[in-house]
Amino acid sequence: MGTFHDDKGPLHGITVFAREGDTVYVGRCDTLTATHLVLHDADIHVEGQDGRSNDEYLQRAARFGIWKKHETLVVAAGGLGPVQPLGDRVRGGGKAAPAATPTAEATAPAVPKPAADDALVTLTAGAVAEVRRLLLAEPGPGRGLRLGVAGGGCSGLTYKVEFDARRDGDLVVPQEGFEVYLDRKSAIYLRGVTLDHEPGLASRGFQFRNPNATNTCGCGESFAV
Amino acid sequence: MPYPEQMVAPMRAELVSAGVRELRTPADVEAWFAQTQGTALLLVNSVCGCAAGSARPAVKLALENEQRPARVATVFAGQDLEATARARELIGDVPPSSPSIAMFKDGQLVHFVPRHLIEGQSAEVVAVELIDAFAQYC
Repeated sequence: MGTFHDDKGPLHGITVFAREGDTVYVGRCDTLTATHLVLHDADIHVEGQDGRSNDEYLQRAARFGIWKKHETLVVAAGGLGPVQPLGDRVRGGGKAAPAATPTAEATAPAVPKPAADDALVTLTAGAVAEVRRLLLAEPGPGRGLRLGVAGGGCSGLTYKVEFDARRDGDLVVPQEGFEVYLDRKSAIYLRGVTLDHEPGLASRGFQFRNPNATNTCGCGESFAV
Repeated sequence: MPYPEQMVAPMRAELVSAGVRELRTPADVEAWFAQTQGTALLLVNSVCGCAAGSARPAVKLALENEQRPARVATVFAGQDLEATARARELIGDVPPSSPSIAMFKDGQLVHFVPRHLIEGQSAEVVAVELIDAFAQYC
């Protein structure tokens, strides 16, 4: 159903589990390469821990979820078994995403890739229309759309979208009927970004398309560069 | 950090228009949980498009079923923080996840759909599973 980013592999954003000897790792898959598995909101269970076998632990985890103990967990892929969607333990099949084994994957450069002559940020017609509609609904003096980034989220950085007044040092991107404001730090990460607005039943709302992102959370709220 | 209210309003409206009651405060949540008779369903909503984008339409589809919970409500994780925290305390001994769907009968949690059983699934798949639960408990 096109839920996750095609270029991130079928397990990106999916809650998965993998075994290594007497240990089970569970968490939301961020990255799976030949060398490592990166999980977010993760837990580790060792056979017999808390009086439960790994199978008993997984059975309950598959039914109700896990109490996360680690924001981010990086596991060496060498001894890992197949990485499988946790939901398969309940549904019994890989409808949403197939199991995967650690495979070679190109490592993207961990630096932003802005081009000097790129537009700072671009808003699609849909995004412009939605911002104008929202501003008209609640007008205020000097209000514009502030785009920014902050630390956090499962991929390291999260987008910020808010209505705000212009501040000293802001970069300003004029739009028809309003202005977009970015602080200079955020502009490093957001240069070249397109903000879209997707209406409809699924209601994904505002969506960022970021050419600087080397990794993006399944829901698009979080990204890495 | 919560999104601007105007931006999540359509996600609230999507559920409210289907007859789902929004619980915006801890007091709302406590009052809703205080009524324990019969069947009830609570959706922990989320802005996350990859799972909540299926969860909301799934609940709407499932509620079209003749057999359905008597009371249906929602809290918005990441938006109505205090209400969501209180709801999570009252749902029962299950790890927090959003979106997620909890079903109660006579005050007891009888069915729970955590986020990982929603992510990557179509609304129809999730709805069918909810309807199965409705058939069992309603």
